[in-house]
Amino acid sequence: MTDNGYEPKIVAFLCNWCTFTAADLAGTSRIKYQPNIRIIKVMCSSRVDPVFILKALLDGADGVLIGGCAPGDCHYSKGNFYARRKVALAKTLAQNMGLDTDRIRLSWIPASEGPKFAGVVNEFTEKIKKIGANPAGQEVFI
Amino acid sequence: MDKGIWIDGPVNKGVMKFLKGLLENNAMDAVLMPGKNKTGDSNAWFFLDRDGLDESASPFPPVMTTQGAKMVSYLTKKNGSWKKTGVLLRPCELRAVIELAKLKQVDLTNLVLISYDCPGAFPLKEYLSGNQQELDMAFETSLGTQTDPEGLRNVCSICSNFTGSGADIEIGLIGADSKGFWLIPGTEQGEELLKKTEESNSFKSLESRDKLVEAKSVQRKEKRETTLDSFQQSVNGPENLMTVLSSCINCHNCSRVCPICFCRECYFDSRALNSGADEMLRRADRKQGLRLLPDLLLFHMGRMTHMSISCVSCGACEDACPADIPVSMLFTVAARDTRKIFDYEPGRDIDEALPYSVFNFEELKNFEAPYTRQYSKQ
Repeated sequence: MTDNGYEPKIVAFLCNWCTFTAADLAGTSRIKYQPNIRIIKVMCSSRVDPVFILKALLDGADGVLIGGCAPGDCHYSKGNFYARRKVALAKTLAQNMGLDTDRIRLSWIPASEGPKFAGVVNEFTEKIKKIGANPAGQEVFI
Repeated sequence: MDKGIWIDGPVNKGVMKFLKGLLENNAMDAVLMPGKNKTGDSNAWFFLDRDGLDESASPFPPVMTTQGAKMVSYLTKKNGSWKKTGVLLRPCELRAVIELAKLKQVDLTNLVLISYDCPGAFPLKEYLSGNQQELDMAFETSLGTQTDPEGLRNVCSICSNFTGSGADIEIGLIGADSKGFWLIPGTEQGEELLKKTEESNSFKSLESRDKLVEAKSVQRKEKRETTLDSFQQSVNGPENLMTVLSSCINCHNCSRVCPICFCRECYFDSRALNSGADEMLRRADRKQGLRLLPDLLLFHMGRMTHMSISCVSCGACEDACPADIPVSMLFTVAARDTRKIFDYEPGRDIDEALPYSVFNFEELKNFEAPYTRQYSKQ
């Protein structure tokens, strides 16, 4: 299954109402997807402070996936728009300080789209496999 | 405003006379401004009435001991001032006051914000260990001539918002050539107050000043960009960043003195990051060792995500750092890019909403990752 012999670890912050439910649906529909993600459920994607993303990356996570409701469909009506701003900031700062921004991904996955969830996870895992391991994970000094 | 009251004579004396005049005719009840203690060897902030003004006030300190915005917040955080209070601020302090007002940490009721063309400030440590009288003199001269004094702080020498624009009353010094200064109204409140001063009929055109301000601004912006570019080169990547930060002693002084870091409990002081030995050992296992205290880089980068948008580049953090880390330069570099995405400038306008408090439906599409492949139908 591995392309270059290593299994990445991906931290996924999923919103309770859409993306996590989609993950649930993917499970109950018995859709197979890459086992590389570690899911952390949050009540809303806007709960994801940019610090969470940076902490995951600096601690050695190979990728960070943030999943929320599709724009306009947020359970709290506008949380995901704030989430987008926060992710934009985290990515900009990561780039500014020379971290790899490709390791951060923000995706909108509605509750009813289990297959899409599986697709996004597969796609992201493949991409991270291509990029390789996160060097911050090996560095003692960080 | 294209006109201001011209006042002849030395700046220090003139400003004191102007403030005293406002207090005497009851246009203001008190002032919050920098001052010196009786022996004259320390700069601090004072809340003064008419008599106190004579005793302690020293309107233009050559160093920034505590950030003025913090003082204003201290005074008005819980409710607005019921005394009409004039506040004399550096331009960066003024911007921080405006940011804090947006963050509901400052109540602007009854405050009259007064600011001036700032020539910068000396590093606190060098001032305290150096010849203070000499530095005081050097600062006073450069305040009049508006030339950079020698030994300015790094952030000050690349500051491109050096005028007090945005204040109720602006003290114009650029172009005055040590002969005097302008009092320029910035808001209706400021205009009304200026009408109550003695010299209210001596309005003079500001054309010569405006041209010089424009020229200096262009020159400073250029210098700012090139300096920040080269600094960014030197800290790019975790390795270079850690070289700069490695002397950090984790005292969190930088966040304590920061006017924008107002949280009562900081995430980085909380126990959220304080995991047990189990977790620490596992982390150490993963990378054949662990630097202690851990999460040093996270602290600094985390602060950048929390407050870089509102960072006014005042340099208080760098003054407070016991390990001589160029913290304020780091933050200025980070802030340059983070505020660009939201087209935001801290302290520019009180009506400009904080980027985290608003959004547009159609924006920042390049930060979303669209799902590119058609998933299989099952």
